Amino acid sequence: MTLAENLFENLRLELRRGCLTLAVLAQLRQEHYGYTLRKALANRGMEIDENTLYPLLRRLEAQGLLTSEWREEEKRNKRFYKLSPDGEEIFARLLKEWNDINTAIENLL
Amino acid sequence: MEMLDRYLQAVRRHLPWLRQDDIIAELRANLEAQLEDKEAELGRKLTNAEMEAWLKQLGSPLHVAARYQPQQYLVGPALFPIYWFVLRLAIGWCAVIYAIARTVEIVSNGQGPDAIFGAVAQLPWVLFINAAVVTLIFALVERSGAKIPEKFVQGAAMGNDWPNAPVTPFDPQLEKAKKPKSYAQAVVEVIFGWILLVWLLLVPHYPFLLMGPGVVVLYAVPYQLAPVWWTFYWCIVVLNAVELTWRIVDLLQERWQGPHLAEHLVKKSLGLIPLLVLLAAPGHVLIVLKNPADTSHSAGLAQINLDLYRACEVIAAIVILQLVWTIVKVSMEAYRRRLAAAR
Repeated sequence: MTLAENLFENLRLELRRGCLTLAVLAQLRQEHYGYTLRKALANRGMEIDENTLYPLLRRLEAQGLLTSEWREEEKRNKRFYKLSPDGEEIFARLLKEWNDINTAIENLL
Repeated sequence: MEMLDRYLQAVRRHLPWLRQDDIIAELRANLEAQLEDKEAELGRKLTNAEMEAWLKQLGSPLHVAARYQPQQYLVGPALFPIYWFVLRLAIGWCAVIYAIARTVEIVSNGQGPDAIFGAVAQLPWVLFINAAVVTLIFALVERSGAKIPEKFVQGAAMGNDWPNAPVTPFDPQLEKAKKPKSYAQAVVEVIFGWILLVWLLLVPHYPFLLMGPGVVVLYAVPYQLAPVWWTFYWCIVVLNAVELTWRIVDLLQERWQGPHLAEHLVKKSLGLIPLLVLLAAPGHVLIVLKNPADTSHSAGLAQINLDLYRACEVIAAIVILQLVWTIVKVSMEAYRRRLAAAR
């Protein structure tokens, strides 16, 4: 990887990092467990690596933005995540921020 | 499936001990669902080679487990500017002190080029150890800060509000009395407390750290410090160690904003102990002759001891007066607060 590619990759990851959280919060307005969440995000064009998504879910839960419960589905115990009331509030504010940034960037371009 | 079990077992080994079972159960459910999808897509079970390739694609067990660790850095971005500032300061001063200390040592002992090369070769290690200790302290602070993020961020953002200065004239005394100590200040105090303690412990081995080039006088005069100074010295070391420990405990327990009144008084009172040790010196002897048989300096020695003892008495009196004044101030402040609360 050349220096320019490396720099681009770092900047791309930096740009994606915040967006991933927003995407996960948006998708978790409906209940999901890890794998179906990943598939749902991928179906909407937001591919997330397992090693990023599953730990992210735990971090967001530890921060109080998600709630989770273990439940059996298709003869297998799965951990289902959903946006918590705090998470809904934060999500709404982040979404507004996202829209503001988006508008500003569009104005700049 | 056996290969997946082995993979998950390898991941488990690197996970935080308390959350291993929970994380592995969730990871297993997700990976098994993913595997079922893959197999449904192919219409058959995955071969061993395909299974191996898939697990390799997921990442090494160590890499996967690392993502579940709560903290993946020693010093985070919020604390890093302070860390970088202190590290440069510590390394710079360490190099200067080391250079002076070794130069004085080499010159006073009349050592040759070998000693100079030895001193230069040792410098990187000295700096490395210094940097490692500073990093270790900041890593500990980072860990404690991670548990109290809201205060940690305030502390790290020191100086951000400077343009919003109050319109009233600045009163340093008032400001000092009202403003609680920031997290960053408390961290810097701990670091400098540690540096002071190390310096104190080095002084007996390298007296020039205290006296600089004037240390040659120590070797020239016929007098030396009486044994009571060792007791005095260890009292100072212990007091500084206690003070440093106190500050670290305060920091870890989120009580760095400022000392409690009782704590402040206890520290002031403990500060009297080294002086009392000197005042209790047997026969008021603080200085002795290097060669007890040398009678030519006996008369001068008696006068020096008398003057030194008087100086210790004066200093002790000043410290006691300060302590009394502090007690009076603290009592008045407590009385004022009680009156204010009563209204």
